[in-house]
Amino acid sequence: MFQYSFMQNAFIIALLISILCPVVGMFLVLRRYSMIGDTLAHSSLAGVAIGLMLGYNPIISAFVTTSVFGVLIEILRTYYKKYAELILSVILSLSVGIAITIISSGHAHANVETFLFGSILTVTRVDLWTVLALSLFSIAVIAIFYNQLVFITFDEDGAKIAGVKVKWINYIFALLVAATISVSIQIVGVLVLSSLIALPPATALQLNKGFKATLAFSILISMINLISGLFISYYMDAAPGGVTAIMSVVTLLCVIVFQKFKDHIRQK
Amino acid sequence: MIEIRNLYFSYSNQSMYVLNDINLVVNRGDYISVLGENGSGKSTLMKLILKMIPPTAGNLKNDFSRIGYVPQLFESLNTQFPITVYEILDSYRKTLKIKDKNCIENALAIVNMSAFKNKLIGTLSGGQRQKIFIARALMGQPDLLILDEPSSGIDINSQDEIYRLIKKINVEQEVTVISVEHNLKAAMDNSSHIYHLKNGGGHLCKPVDYINDYVKSSTGGRGNVSI
Repeated sequence: MFQYSFMQNAFIIALLISILCPVVGMFLVLRRYSMIGDTLAHSSLAGVAIGLMLGYNPIISAFVTTSVFGVLIEILRTYYKKYAELILSVILSLSVGIAITIISSGHAHANVETFLFGSILTVTRVDLWTVLALSLFSIAVIAIFYNQLVFITFDEDGAKIAGVKVKWINYIFALLVAATISVSIQIVGVLVLSSLIALPPATALQLNKGFKATLAFSILISMINLISGLFISYYMDAAPGGVTAIMSVVTLLCVIVFQKFKDHIRQK
Repeated sequence: MIEIRNLYFSYSNQSMYVLNDINLVVNRGDYISVLGENGSGKSTLMKLILKMIPPTAGNLKNDFSRIGYVPQLFESLNTQFPITVYEILDSYRKTLKIKDKNCIENALAIVNMSAFKNKLIGTLSGGQRQKIFIARALMGQPDLLILDEPSSGIDINSQDEIYRLIKKINVEQEVTVISVEHNLKAAMDNSSHIYHLKNGGGHLCKPVDYINDYVKSSTGGRGNVSI
């Protein structure tokens, strides 16, 4: 299967996003913001539709649009401090509304289904370079702000008092989430992208390790889910998004059962 | 030194002042316990001192440059958060750009928690967690330590240990302490002053004066109460 260049491209992108998604996902999950990831994933469809309508690279247009929605969520949060879920409804209505309007009116000049379910057949070299650039940028930003992000995630008030520019880092983080989503939608698809963001950290949390160890396990689990998802989807001739989502839940269940078994042995 | 003069505070969507004409001077080396009923504005006053919120009117001058903060235990901690004691302290060290890695060991030694360095924070008892937060606050070598109900949700023995520790830091390291308290006994035993907040206003007094007023108001001036 690796004789095809699209498969080579798909696997390189899969490796990149299997690092990026759980790293961003870990902070989202621990801040109880995993639904923000889901909302932004859906809102990226508006960016894809706009890109396809105007003839721009859909990954770049998804990044720009999702960044705008991410920053909008941060701004709206100051207005709805106690009703965060309402903000998600607002963003979801606007973004999906835009996407449906463009797609249903026939202005998107390509197959949008690719971005809904994910596809490995359509990954080009240009996509690969775009994804590589956005991924390296995101990983560098995370590396720079890693300690502040850990601090904010664990104790936001404490971080503010210690002088961390929490508001700015939240905005930067919103851009990171947008970048992560836009590089992932082509392979995994909009509909099940949250399985790549939220499920590996959720699985690694079951292992009861420290922060760095949980992060490392999240990446490992994410790689297992994505690579196995790609292999299976290739041989089943199915969309990789769906298979990866199923694999993510299967891995989670395996880890839960393994932990229960381990606890049972320990108690004996 | 902290100097608060004619300070007023109200939240943006409310017309009533939470804090009403507050005047308070905190000198270096003081140990001030802030007492008051729920909703009297204790936490708001701390947020103002910590510059988390601006006053609506009045002046607040804070000369302390290194402030250590110990949050209220049950309000801030997600016990399932996957982080070790060392990782908490190390992220704080790196955020504050403290180059000396030994400050983590030193802070843990002060609170007698060196053996717990690699434990997950969620596996520690309430008292142990509180000591970790005190250790974190001490890493920046603070000249002011602000604590929000340091004994809430902690068993009696651990409470005694924590207050001994805070008092020791106050006396031996000359760190000024401001502690929001519900623990009247601890406030009486350890504080140099009590700041009592009531109906948005406040007044500063010695613990002995506070307890005399407390006894009078509790018994109608007839007798003694035990704390």
